[in-house]
Amino acid sequence: MEAPPDNDVLWARSLHFTHRDGSPGLAGISLGVRQGEILAVSGPRGSGKTTLLRCLSGLLPVRSGEVWFNSSPLHTLGPTARERLRRERFAWIDPEPVLVPELNVWENAALPLMLRGAGRRRAKVCALEWLERLDVGDRARCRPRALRHAERQRVAIARALAPGPEILFADEPTAPLHHADRTHVLRTLTTAARSHGITVVLATHDPDTTALADRTVALLDGRRVHTVHLPDVPDAEGRAACSLSV
Amino acid sequence: MLALRLTRAARPAVQLRRLLVAAASAGTGLLLLSSLGHALAHPEAADAAALRLAWCAAPLAATVYLALAVARTDPGTRPRPGLSAVGLGPARLMAVSALTTALSCSLGSLLALLIFLHLRGDLTGLPFDGAAAGLLAAGLPLPVPAAATLLTVLPVTATAAVAVALRPRDPRPPVRVPRRFGRFGAAGGSAGKETFGAYGRFGTRLPQAPGDGRTDAPGDRRTATTALLETEGDPPAPENAPEPPAPDTDADSPAGLPWGVALVTAGLAAQAYAGRSAPVPVLTVLLGWLLTGTGLVLAGPGLTHLCGRLLQAGRPGALRLLAGRGLMAEAARIGRPLGVVCAVASAGCALTALSGGPAPAFGPLSALGALVVGGATLATLLTAAVEARQYRAGHTAALLRLGARPTLLRGAAALRAAVLPALFGPLVLAIAALSALPLSR
Repeated sequence: MEAPPDNDVLWARSLHFTHRDGSPGLAGISLGVRQGEILAVSGPRGSGKTTLLRCLSGLLPVRSGEVWFNSSPLHTLGPTARERLRRERFAWIDPEPVLVPELNVWENAALPLMLRGAGRRRAKVCALEWLERLDVGDRARCRPRALRHAERQRVAIARALAPGPEILFADEPTAPLHHADRTHVLRTLTTAARSHGITVVLATHDPDTTALADRTVALLDGRRVHTVHLPDVPDAEGRAACSLSV
Repeated sequence: MLALRLTRAARPAVQLRRLLVAAASAGTGLLLLSSLGHALAHPEAADAAALRLAWCAAPLAATVYLALAVARTDPGTRPRPGLSAVGLGPARLMAVSALTTALSCSLGSLLALLIFLHLRGDLTGLPFDGAAAGLLAAGLPLPVPAAATLLTVLPVTATAAVAVALRPRDPRPPVRVPRRFGRFGAAGGSAGKETFGAYGRFGTRLPQAPGDGRTDAPGDRRTATTALLETEGDPPAPENAPEPPAPDTDADSPAGLPWGVALVTAGLAAQAYAGRSAPVPVLTVLLGWLLTGTGLVLAGPGLTHLCGRLLQAGRPGALRLLAGRGLMAEAARIGRPLGVVCAVASAGCALTALSGGPAPAFGPLSALGALVVGGATLATLLTAAVEARQYRAGHTAALLRLGARPTLLRGAAALRAAVLPALFGPLVLAIAALSALPLSR
């Protein structure tokens, strides 16, 4: 195994994960995420992208394998310390924009800052700035249910970006959107991350999305693969040759 | 069979809630049967027996309310992907839920019948040295059809109420704006008013953003506008920019508060009016009580909303914001059972104050009735709280993913639970004192 370079902010070594019901999740994944890069984790549905992101962000406890963040071990931390790390350093974007329905848009975006103990005025200014940047600034006083889906997703992105996290985990942030909205959301996300030096780990199964990333890590069945030859035409001959089953 | 199978496999908390329904139903059934016993023992006093039967309406209503709340909270009868995949949609699940309710209520009624027969001495001699013999007409034979009718009232009512409340309904269709016609009856109006000559004015026909042929919704239009900004750097025409929507922070505040206050004052006025004459007119007093109770139930959501609003007033941090807004959002769900509890509590307080002391004059049946009504309303309130918690489980999980401390969320819940008695406790005491005042003079 190669020694991790110095500018890796997050890396994983031979990460194994089995779900509680015994179904396999990850089978020995090693990867490094460099400072300030946008890393796409691609792969078809069920290939372990979400599980990998959850393990890396400390949502799931890692039992076998190692995860290091800024040269400190994450796999040995308890749930409380992982939660603090998630609150202070990480940000997370769900596939569905899960906003708190009773707070209005800017309060939703300011909530992580308030959870970190920032003052209300500072949190509001910061949240409004990010909402403006993501083109939902004029909706700042609406409730989330008055917004369309793409706008809600942009609010979720603003909520993730507002506290200035070191690493942003985005789990298929554009999956339920139409093509135009998808491009808009992705462009704003990547531009904001690049201009503010935020490292992004982006799970996606869309080849157009991976084109926006600096690097792509392809997963298949919980393993990291370098070349994916999936038979896209129902061609009986040659299927055995291309088969990836091991 | 499926209802039984789903009933058996539920978690202990759910079973406990169903047992509460069964217990309340047993208490109500016992009260109904004891009124029958009284009628058997005193066949000459028909109006007194009818009055006793009429008083049973209060525990009956409380029990039905509890059964309804429990059925609404039941996780086994919620639309589930696993069951809808086999074709068990909301309609069948409503039937399952009604059946479960009927089961628990019938269990309670059966229990009531057993206790009643035991107390009358029909099963094994007279217990308690025949203390209940006079009350329940021990020596006389029990008319089976009357007892069966009385015992089936509660299960039938509760089942019907559950079936009606949980009937499958489509989500309400969005409010249709009346169709507007454009020029010469063309379908669809333009976004802004198009004056004469506006079509050919310079700058109105700039090339649109690629892939944006249909700009119907305002959001689409804004996206197109910003895309235009990004691609060309031209300022968009000001009439193309959509109006910023009005903030809708007050959209979901419940509207019942003024009506509730009006009814409460009307009820208190009726009682004060009744207290003026020397032989107190019972009907007016009852009407006053009814008006006051209805007013409290109507005002409950509004008062809860007010609580939440006060809690998040000023410059709230995360704790007060989450607690207050949560209360405002759950006002309809929590407020109504809370109003019922308040009405029952104020009635209890006033009755205790009127009887002068810690209720020495209450017989065992009145105590049982008070216990059933109070317990059922309190259990309904707790069940509503559980329902609110289930409804918010997704958002709570999202907050935890954000890294919110569980202690913070628990603190918000505790704050919510603490601020409600702070407002409703004095209110209950004040209403009880006001309604007892004219009658005690």
